[in-house]
Amino acid sequence: VNMMASTVPTTVLCLMNMVSPDELADDEEYEEICDDVRDECSKYGRVLSLHIPRPIEGADIHGLGKIFVEFSSVTDCASAGTALAGRKFASRVVVTSYYDPDRYSQRDFAGVEGTE
Amino acid sequence: LDVAKKKKRKRRWGDDSERTIIPGMPTSIPSNMTERQTKIYIKTLEVEEIGRKLRTGDLGIAPLPEDRSPSPEPIYNHEGKRMNTRDYRMKKKLEEQRHALIQELQEINPDYKPPMDYKAPSSRMQD
Repeated sequence: VNMMASTVPTTVLCLMNMVSPDELADDEEYEEICDDVRDECSKYGRVLSLHIPRPIEGADIHGLGKIFVEFSSVTDCASAGTALAGRKFASRVVVTSYYDPDRYSQRDFAGVEGTE
Repeated sequence: LDVAKKKKRKRRWGDDSERTIIPGMPTSIPSNMTERQTKIYIKTLEVEEIGRKLRTGDLGIAPLPEDRSPSPEPIYNHEGKRMNTRDYRMKKKLEEQRHALIQELQEINPDYKPPMDYKAPSSRMQD
C-alpha cells in the first residue's frame, strides 16, 4: 500500500472521534452537530455537502462515528483538514483523514478492507 | 429532561488555542487504515489525551460557568470539607473513561499495553 498516496487530500474530509452513537440518535443533538460542523468547516472553504451516519437499532452502520464533509475543491478541503486536526470537539480530540470522493458520492462508508 | 433540552446550545468546538499535540500521535491519519486500525489508533490517542489531562490537571472544565453541567448536591466530610468538587468529579470521570477505553483496547488487541501511569481501579463494583 502506498502510504504517501493515502495522505494526499481529496475533496472529502473525514472527521473522527467527535460524536457518539447516543448523541446521533437524538434528533435535536444530531441537527446541532450538523450545524456546528457545517459552520466550522465553512470557515475554511465552500462546503457542498455533509454526511453523518446515524445509528439504527440492530443494524451495523458503516462509518458510524465518522463525519464526512464534501468541499468544492481539494484546496478548501485541505485547509479545513489542516485547521481541524487536533482541535477539540465536545472535549474529544478531532482526528482527520481524506476520503475517496467516488465512494462518498455513492454513500459507501464500508471503509478499507485490506490486509494489516 | 425537558429543562435540560431547553437550556442554551452547548459549545462543542474548542478554541484553536486548546489544540493538543500528543508526541508521536498525529491527528491527521492515512485514509487506507482499516476500521480496526483506526479504532485502535483513536482509542489509544484518547487514552494518551486523558492521561495528559490527569497529569497536568488540565481537566477540560469549561471556563464559563454557564457551559458547565449542573453540580450535584454537595457532599461534605466530617471536617466540613466538600468532597465532590468539580475537580474531583472530572478526575473520576476521566479515570472511568480511560479505564473503559483500556478495557476495549485490550479486547480488540490482546497485545495492547496500557500507559505506565494507569492503574486499574481496584475496588470496582461488579457489573
